[in-house]
Amino acid sequence: MSDELKLIAAAKAGSADAFADLVRAYRVRLLRFLLTRSPSYADAEDVLQDTLIAAYRYLHSYDPRWRFSTWLYRIAIRNAAKLRGPDLVEIGDLRDEENDPLQQCIADSETDNLWVSARQLLNDEVYSAMWLRYAEDMSVNDISKALDRSASWTKVNLMRGRRVLETHLNGAAQQSEAYG
Amino acid sequence: MDKLASQLHDDAQRIDVSVSDELDRRIEASLRAITPESEDSRPAPVARPPLFWWASTITGVAAAIALIAIANWRAPVQPVSPPVNIAAAIPAIELNAETAMLTGPLQQELDRLQSDLKKAEEKVKQDIGL
Repeated sequence: MSDELKLIAAAKAGSADAFADLVRAYRVRLLRFLLTRSPSYADAEDVLQDTLIAAYRYLHSYDPRWRFSTWLYRIAIRNAAKLRGPDLVEIGDLRDEENDPLQQCIADSETDNLWVSARQLLNDEVYSAMWLRYAEDMSVNDISKALDRSASWTKVNLMRGRRVLETHLNGAAQQSEAYG
Repeated sequence: MDKLASQLHDDAQRIDVSVSDELDRRIEASLRAITPESEDSRPAPVARPPLFWWASTITGVAAAIALIAIANWRAPVQPVSPPVNIAAAIPAIELNAETAMLTGPLQQELDRLQSDLKKAEEKVKQDIGL
């Protein structure tokens, strides 16, 4: 039995310490993803907290055939979607640049961050699929489970997302050449 | 890994985040405050006594019988109208009409045109002195 499965078994038995150990490695990864999906840093932290509480409370429903990270991301994506409310406002339109937590977290970086453009160009689901694929190195099957979509939907939308970003990058390169 | 994939991966890693001590404490406190649900902690469906099942069945059947009886009690007799002979009501169509009846107006028009043509020829002959 792997360490992760041992911790899951202990957490299922009611050990909060075991669960805290289990999710320690995932907290920063989840927070990084949630920051790109939330209108503020505080919201992202709240969603992370809600996600971990929900995961602990409903740990009995976790199916060990899934990767634990896939299951956690599935909960996180649902909780992040609740932030948008029933009007389904795309998260890219929610905030001003000054208070944008993603902008704040890449402020020290010297080059443009492609995830900022991705958030503007892709819809929420495609963005999430792209994040899970390229930031988390998840397989297509895991992504489709996390998003509750078919594998074919995931493949097609990953391709579309890539195409949109490639077009954007090519356009940006041509523009910078034109300006010399 | 291609260029785009590698850029996306690197850019994700460049998002600088950390879980603050305060958030860490909040999460741990929340986790300690709750107990995970277990599969057997869900409330089991309460088994009703068989008498209850029989009572509800008999009530349902009695209600259905009463409803059917009331619906059929002195139901007004629907007036039955005598059958109508539809064939007699439809006027017969004359299908064996003479061909002349159909071509008559065209023939008359042709005769009038030929007569006009003859008159015009005669007038022309008179004009040129033939």
